[in-house]
Amino acid sequence: MRYPFVTGGSDFIQGDEAIARAAIMAGCRFYAGYPITPASEIFEAMALYLPLVDGVSIQMEDEIGSIAAIIGASWAGAKAMTATSGPGFSLMQENLGYAVMTETPIVVVNMQRGGPSTGQPTLPAQGDMMQAIWGTHGDHMLIVLVPSTVQEAFDFTVRAFNLAEKYRTPVVVLGDAEIAHMRERVNIPEPEEIEVVNRKLPRTPEEERMPFGDPDGDGVPPMPIFGRGYRTYVTGLTHDEFGHPKTVDREIHERLIKRIFRKILDNKADIISYHEYELEDAEVAIVATGIVSRSAMRAVKMLRERGLKIGLLKLDTIWPFDFDMMKKLAERVHRIYVPEMNLGQLYHLVKEGAEGLAEVTLIDKIGGEVHTPGEIVERIERGERR
Amino acid sequence: MNFKSAYKIRDRYLRKDMLPTIFCPGCGIGSVLQFTLRAIDDLKLNQDEIVWVSGIGCSSRVPGFVNFDGLHTTHGRALAFATGIKMVNPDLKIIAFMGDGDTAAIGGNHFIHAIRRNLDVTVILINNFTYGMTGGQVAPTTLKGLRGTTAPYGQFENPFDIAELAVAAGANYVARWTVFNYIQGINSIKKALQKEGFTLVEFLSPCPVSFGRRNRMKTAPEILKWYQKITVPINRARKMSQEELEGKVVIGEFVDRDRPGLVRAYMEYVERAKRIAGW
Amino acid sequence: MQVRFAGIGGQGVVLAGIILGEAAAIEGLNVTQTQDYSSASRGGHSIADVIVSREPIYDLIVTEADVLVALHQLGYDTVKDSLRKDGTLIVDTDLVKPDREYTGAPFTRLAEESTGTSLTVNMVALGYLIARTGIVKRESAIEAIKRRVPKGTEEINIRAFDVGFEEGSG
Repeated sequence: MRYPFVTGGSDFIQGDEAIARAAIMAGCRFYAGYPITPASEIFEAMALYLPLVDGVSIQMEDEIGSIAAIIGASWAGAKAMTATSGPGFSLMQENLGYAVMTETPIVVVNMQRGGPSTGQPTLPAQGDMMQAIWGTHGDHMLIVLVPSTVQEAFDFTVRAFNLAEKYRTPVVVLGDAEIAHMRERVNIPEPEEIEVVNRKLPRTPEEERMPFGDPDGDGVPPMPIFGRGYRTYVTGLTHDEFGHPKTVDREIHERLIKRIFRKILDNKADIISYHEYELEDAEVAIVATGIVSRSAMRAVKMLRERGLKIGLLKLDTIWPFDFDMMKKLAERVHRIYVPEMNLGQLYHLVKEGAEGLAEVTLIDKIGGEVHTPGEIVERIERGERR
Repeated sequence: MNFKSAYKIRDRYLRKDMLPTIFCPGCGIGSVLQFTLRAIDDLKLNQDEIVWVSGIGCSSRVPGFVNFDGLHTTHGRALAFATGIKMVNPDLKIIAFMGDGDTAAIGGNHFIHAIRRNLDVTVILINNFTYGMTGGQVAPTTLKGLRGTTAPYGQFENPFDIAELAVAAGANYVARWTVFNYIQGINSIKKALQKEGFTLVEFLSPCPVSFGRRNRMKTAPEILKWYQKITVPINRARKMSQEELEGKVVIGEFVDRDRPGLVRAYMEYVERAKRIAGW
Repeated sequence: MQVRFAGIGGQGVVLAGIILGEAAAIEGLNVTQTQDYSSASRGGHSIADVIVSREPIYDLIVTEADVLVALHQLGYDTVKDSLRKDGTLIVDTDLVKPDREYTGAPFTRLAEESTGTSLTVNMVALGYLIARTGIVKRESAIEAIKRRVPKGTEEINIRAFDVGFEEGSG
């Protein structure tokens, strides 16, 4: 398989470009999108590459059309992606819920920028975390990955496709304007070195008739894609295992929604990813995700030099969230600091997980500049003096 | 036209375990569905190569009753979903079964852009001048003066002429009939299904419960008689003045052309891309 | 190592940063490059940060520059406090009047003299920087220039680079 870019080496590229290359190497062959700063470059790269690998890249009339098209594409059998930023992500929420309800594998990238509303189009923020988790209506479950480097933008995008296929679910890759446009040296593996996961297809006539069944007990139904004679009916209405709408049946609704939850939550160990730095003997911890975790890393080093026993828990996934792990951390340290580029979002998850066993302090910063290590150090030193 | 028994059509194409349908007595949707199935049957199309898509509304429930692959999507968005399906697997024929509110209100933008692109799809449009499923609110097609629950004193806005919209946006084939014109309806659907690009067959269809009842037409026959009064065949309409056409609905074939469809255009694009990139 | 380029829009500050980053990447170093500019495409300030390291890089923007390359007074004034006390300040001596110890040359004038246009001032400054600091090898920079400048302008940009490199080696 030949790619229209260098593989098996390293390249000096922007985050947006890395995401596009990762998607193609993970098997993405359909992209539908709409221009928006700072994610347009993802679209432009996909538009450049996809026709050369016999894929489809199309500009839809708006973001709602974009996510609709990728869901349709997924049911026709393709791995599909769209990318946007805050305003577009807000528009996509209804259909994101549709993808959850119909268990359609798709990847939706949101490169966060200052909000709300039109906000600060060219500057980074982390204000969409809660939206990524809760944005669509109803009880829903999905996976949210948060890269902090251009290398992670590449690696997590590949992972997003694999998780989407494995668990027949939409996956959100939550980046930001800084990662979108910064350039870093990235290792791009050889195609053979990349693990690519594909969706379960029906194996028996019974599975062909049940697009929403649970034959393997893992909560993940085989996906009878269109055009193979399965006569699959997919609807956003509450439905039974056969896909038949059953909107007034309480038991069927509960069974369906809880299976969708179980599908993800029972597999938390496979899905949740994080890194611990210097937490073994820590008395104080930082919990951070995304771009700000880099400054947090430097802050940990600086504070250790000044004698503070501090460590960092960097989250790669923010949903599903490991509340147990947070509780265990809170048992070991007396304070947890949460630096984020918003007015408190991850903070609430950490606080809930800590269950009062440790104090949780928010280090918020908005306006479009990432926390500097010095700012984090100063806030923590101030906090520890009290 | 040789009419097969309706039971044969039903047995072959409907999902028995999903019957009865949700449609009210006197509803025209069942008739239009029958026209569509007869068209498919006459053309001997492969059931496994057809995908039905729909949005939200009574009409949009149709894919759930037919024995084909189907995608029942979100309100107004069926054509956007269809774009993804068709572009990934051009061998699949897409039938979009939608209502007037779904298509022309919330779906308006996707509608005109799908036509602009000449997406290869056949839209079967149920136009009952109302939002039936939600109880009879006015729609962008409700003629001035007619009543709906959200304009209880008579619609004060102007209606869309969806067929003319589609012609202006560039569709390859557009026709409008009433459920009364069954032979023309079936023929139009057959034509539409065989054409590349965007094809639309709109049907004025009675909704006695949500629409008729509020406009002094409690039964389907009364609505059909009203259609006979307000519809004008297109050949005659072309000779009438603007004033004479006020309050009338033109029926017939509006356009029949063969501009290249989206799939063809994109495939040429891929060839061009490979050439330019020296791939 | 933290390197910051500062100038005004139109001087090619960001491209200089990208080329330095590309050169470091060619040598297998870790490198992070970011940029900041005002919305005016000509005339407002333009800043490019390049962080080069053998270790994984956690910083994003330059907070304590080891080297500041200032091509215009406006750029210099905007970011001069980010240069470490013992850092190296390189300036276009015609356009910047620094208030501390510095080194440099009249880059813009050298660009005009050697290539007939002031547009290559960024290459002259880059050559000077690399000669002075040895942050990357000359060959890596030349390769990076070939990869990043518009097709057909490689020769003129390399010439400007070498003029700066010569000046910096002296």
